[in-house]
Amino acid sequence: MTGNSNRLIDAALKLHIAACVVFIFAPILGSFVFSLNSDRFPSLPLGQFSTEWYRLIWEDPFVWAGFFNTVIVGLVVAVIATVLGFGGAYTDFRYKFLGKNVYLALALLPPTIPVVIMGLAMLAFLSRVSLSGSTISVIIAHGVMCSPFAMAIIRLRLSQMDPDLEAAAWNLGSNEWATLRHVIIPFARPAILAALFITMAVSFDEFAVAWFVSGLDETLPVKILGFLQGQVSPRINAIGSLAFLSSITLIILAQVLLRRASRGTS
Amino acid sequence: MTRSRPSLFSLVMALPLLLWQLAFFAFPLLFLVAISFWTVRNFQMTPDLNFANWERILTRTTFWDAYARTAMLATASAALTSLIAFPAAYAISFKLSERAKQWLIFVLIIPFFTSYLVRIYALQVFLSDAGIVNAALGMVGLGPVGMLNTTFGTLVGMVTLCLPLVILLQVFSLNFVNRDLVEAAHNLRCGRLRTVLAVIVPSARVGLVIAALFAFILSFGDFVSPLYLGGGNPPTLSIMITDITKSGQQWPRAAVVALMMIGTLLSVAFAAIAYAYKERGK
Amino acid sequence: MNMQTSIQTDAIVRLDGVAKRFGSFTAVERADFEIGRGEFLAIMGSSGCGKTTTLRMLAGLEDPSEGAIYLDGERVNGKPTWARDTPMVWQSLALFPFLSVQENVEFGLKMRGVGRAERRERARTWLDRMQILEFADRNIAQLSGGQRQRVALARALVTEPKILLLDEPLSALDAHLKVRMQAVLSNLQKELGITFVYVTHSMSEAFSMADRVVIMSRGRIEQIGTPREIYHAPRNRFVAEFLGSANIFSGKLVGKSGDRWQVETGHGRLAVAATHAPDKALGDTVTFTVGAENMHIATEADGLPGIRARVVGEEFVGASAIVFLETATGEELKVQKSHDELAGIDLHAGTPLILHWEPDSCHVLPGE
Repeated sequence: MTGNSNRLIDAALKLHIAACVVFIFAPILGSFVFSLNSDRFPSLPLGQFSTEWYRLIWEDPFVWAGFFNTVIVGLVVAVIATVLGFGGAYTDFRYKFLGKNVYLALALLPPTIPVVIMGLAMLAFLSRVSLSGSTISVIIAHGVMCSPFAMAIIRLRLSQMDPDLEAAAWNLGSNEWATLRHVIIPFARPAILAALFITMAVSFDEFAVAWFVSGLDETLPVKILGFLQGQVSPRINAIGSLAFLSSITLIILAQVLLRRASRGTS
Repeated sequence: MTRSRPSLFSLVMALPLLLWQLAFFAFPLLFLVAISFWTVRNFQMTPDLNFANWERILTRTTFWDAYARTAMLATASAALTSLIAFPAAYAISFKLSERAKQWLIFVLIIPFFTSYLVRIYALQVFLSDAGIVNAALGMVGLGPVGMLNTTFGTLVGMVTLCLPLVILLQVFSLNFVNRDLVEAAHNLRCGRLRTVLAVIVPSARVGLVIAALFAFILSFGDFVSPLYLGGGNPPTLSIMITDITKSGQQWPRAAVVALMMIGTLLSVAFAAIAYAYKERGK
Repeated sequence: MNMQTSIQTDAIVRLDGVAKRFGSFTAVERADFEIGRGEFLAIMGSSGCGKTTTLRMLAGLEDPSEGAIYLDGERVNGKPTWARDTPMVWQSLALFPFLSVQENVEFGLKMRGVGRAERRERARTWLDRMQILEFADRNIAQLSGGQRQRVALARALVTEPKILLLDEPLSALDAHLKVRMQAVLSNLQKELGITFVYVTHSMSEAFSMADRVVIMSRGRIEQIGTPREIYHAPRNRFVAEFLGSANIFSGKLVGKSGDRWQVETGHGRLAVAATHAPDKALGDTVTFTVGAENMHIATEADGLPGIRARVVGEEFVGASAIVFLETATGEELKVQKSHDELAGIDLHAGTPLILHWEPDSCHVLPGE
């Protein structure tokens, strides 16, 4: 291949990768920098270093209320989505049945539907059954949207399992329930934990559907949306940076868990 | 083990997810179809079989304008993102070491876990008339360039939204291209660019089309970029839905718009997948 | 359909008209046999012959489509595998990667509710017996193939079952390990006195370890017998060809005088001693074998009657050699003799030779 290796083109391509990464991360890093900037409308040259915005959100009960709602929703959704996703993943792993494709479509399609449409559909339906306008509504909606992620993560891990492992446990006297408890779940544990973290992270940032259905019990992302619509406020940057740090922590943990699983005991 | 009747165990495993998705995913979407025929009386939605909503929406030029605008933006976003992504994806898949590849993939996953809203807000700061980009341009004596409340602004936001996903999907499909084919092409004295166009792109066609399809779907449904970077005027279909929903109880009309969107997306998805998997005739 | 729930039998396993179908595919056509207590039974055949399906039915991983299986006198159709006492040693070993070696071995006991202290003791006793006690707390990924094999055995045997099922357990091992493990298994079985049901595609494994062998092909049982019986008296052409060491001839029965038959074949009229042959009438087709070691070679010059064939090649097998020949009609024949016996005979490719044998060394295939 040496005859076709053109150093210049290679360098240009790598530069392009860097440019894309810069483009993608500029807003993220920008938000972080702006959150520590005294200017209300940041520009070049940058203003002074300031933690004013963090102080403001720390003292704002409105923000705290949103934060608590988000955390509660996130924790509950993580558990629900992981449990539902586990069931779906195991079903796909073990059983063949008529209509399996429909089952899988129902389980995995939600992320492909635009959030405005999901939001509207949820709002209409949940208010009809008087379940709208509260934290419960957000939990229900996020349960739908986050289960596919949990299911995919756990399904991937199950496909790494020796297909005879389950039968070996049965053969040694362990019925299906005991095998689930003593073999399947221990084997899938890293993926289950990863699913918990990732579904929590997805729920944390979901604003659109939550905006439609949460009514007065707004989650934090919904409040950010409010801030965006109302007065421009750099508090958004502070909130965003904190949210980013927590989400990042969650995914790093999930990544570490998944890597350790496939490298170590497979 | 083979059992003819579903065991309690299998039902306990399979049913929860099924019931949840049926009740809270499938049914609400079907409900949308139903309410598109309902009427709003006294600020309340009442069941009916009424084509008025459909008539009203589909005869309005504002609707079709919004439809055209949304379709155009989504197509432009999908095309732009795919074109920007491809050289990067190509370089990642073919030119980088395993370690660098893994790092970059990790880096590209990070944006999924940041708030899209916050990123758009930061982009506002970057693109505003007195913002970062214009200030930088001002330092070299250029500008200021109006970037907010324009189509350009909207597209910047959409590309920000779609680029990580599209790069990842393209890298994933390029990874599956048989390296032997590439070497064979080089062996037959096929230049680099020609190899890319004649061998690599066709081999990875399915993945590239699917990546563009995802970008289209995401952009078609997005309301944040058109609203906060594009000014919201003229509106896109998604903005229409949020306007109708938040300003009144005219959910049936919003449902009509939503169903038109779903119909469009399904058609585009089918067409794209059919094209992607089309057999190369001889 | 036999609907009895228990039967009087001394055998520990009995298959009664058992068949297994998957949709339109018949994996096992009809299996009828018994396995005795303390017997080492091998089920042998090439892939797809139904041997693994049969084993899985004994374990309870598949249910028979027809017929009944009796374990220790009790009809077990439909009884799930965790309710049976038929531990299996898997081809892939299927050891639990998230448990230590000792925990793996303890698993079956834990599932049966055995207390912690007793579990530990019994597991460690078995680990010691298999000479891997030092690895008790290690993760199974740190063990070699042969060591993992022993863990799998210990895990299956720690519950002291009456039957042990083995699904091609040695197929993943190197040749020298294989031979060593064969000895381990043989000795273990004799020591414990329990029944081993061993599935394999390797004839040498089956014949060297088993008391009796079941040969299967495409869902059908072709023959059951001791290795000696099968080797010296194959039932039909399939088994004879499978064994590979015999020459097979086929022809029409044209003369009978007591035990001496005259069979008209493509090579002329041949004399066959039909001592254990079934009753055949004149005109019936008779298929018989002559072992490679029972063939004699003569040259044209000797002037003896026999079959003409040309040498194709030679293969060394220890102290003897197998000479491959081809007749004018393209049939392949084999002669196995010691090097001494072959000395002095020109065995260049293409050399014409005459092959003959004693009629008593023929074996008529009863199943053809």
